[in-house]
Amino acid sequence: MPSDLIAGQTDQPAATADARAQLRAWVLEKAGGLDPAGLTDQTPLLERRILRSVHLPELILLLERLGGGEIDVEDISPGQFRDIDTMMANFVRPADGSEPRP
Amino acid sequence: MTARLSGVGLQWHASGQSSLHGPLLDLAERLDEAFALLADRIWRAQAERHPATLPAAALQRLDYLYSFPHQATFPMRLDRAEANLEAFRSGPMVGLDGVLALTELAAPLDVLTPAACYHLYHGHEGEQLGGPLFLTTRNTCFRQEAAYEPLRRQWSFTMREIVCLGTGSEAAAFLENAHLAVDRLLKGVGLPVEWQAATDPFFNPRSDPRYLMQRMQPVKREAVYGGDLAIASANLHHEHFGDAFSIARDGGPAHSACMAFGIERWLFAVVDQHGTDPAAWPDPIEAAEAAAAAQEDS
Repeated sequence: MPSDLIAGQTDQPAATADARAQLRAWVLEKAGGLDPAGLTDQTPLLERRILRSVHLPELILLLERLGGGEIDVEDISPGQFRDIDTMMANFVRPADGSEPRP
Repeated sequence: MTARLSGVGLQWHASGQSSLHGPLLDLAERLDEAFALLADRIWRAQAERHPATLPAAALQRLDYLYSFPHQATFPMRLDRAEANLEAFRSGPMVGLDGVLALTELAAPLDVLTPAACYHLYHGHEGEQLGGPLFLTTRNTCFRQEAAYEPLRRQWSFTMREIVCLGTGSEAAAFLENAHLAVDRLLKGVGLPVEWQAATDPFFNPRSDPRYLMQRMQPVKREAVYGGDLAIASANLHHEHFGDAFSIARDGGPAHSACMAFGIERWLFAVVDQHGTDPAAWPDPIEAAEAAAAAQEDS
């Protein structure tokens, strides 16, 4: 077993799990009043207006920090920011060093 | 193309604006009448007419000046103090280079209309809507650009808009119907277009929340003629204007959507597609009548 796996979360490396937790905490902070139990990694954040346009520049910066690379806003396509799962898959590099899923 | 256009009624100005007369002016009026006919027949939209300027304070609530400072045009006025007006008159007033030699200016409070529909949201501020509200208006709009091209990209141009204020589903249904109606109209006047997702020309897109939202959740589609000329656009605003102007529907901020037509661009497309003989031009009013009738039947 790789050393960076967290006990009990054997399917995701620690760095990725930490990034996911940071992203989730940030969403809850911006969502203002949203019950944490009501936020899953598949909750549609833009469609349900949990995140609004005013939050987006900060979200880009956060994902760049978590993902370790610059996001070219001209390359953003619809759907990449649908929910936490989608953002993790598209922008956060897995701890094994492989590329984020395109 | 400019020479061909001038033969049918275009006079082009170095300022990036056009004057129309003869066949082109007649076609411009008939096109606008066709758009207004769709608005009336399909949605019974209330027609409104508004001034050439909007209060800067109203636009500020939309973050317009933050997003589009490069496009805004501000009307200037001299301070009305007699001494100031005398000082202006005693100067050259206009230099040899054509530049105004202004003295003290009055406090600038207004912006020349950048989009016809902004007046509608401002005009219905604070209303509680009991059902969807359909509106239509036409205005001369001003957008400063780096370069201008006759009828295709102008400092001032004519925009007709049809707007729906309502719930999210009412706004979405309006846009779907409007899309159908415009497609029927386009077919009737023989203009081939491709509908494409689009974004507005924000000043600094990376730092602009509204641009990012447009990329992440497309809200704007344009009817593009000839590969690069958007002649109509369908826009979903969510609660942006309802929020900014406290327009309520169904217990929350009203959603809105608009269909916008750039009349000069339609002129270009018609002449480009059908030639410079006005006898070969389609009748937009007849096409709009047919489009509205088809919409009523469906």
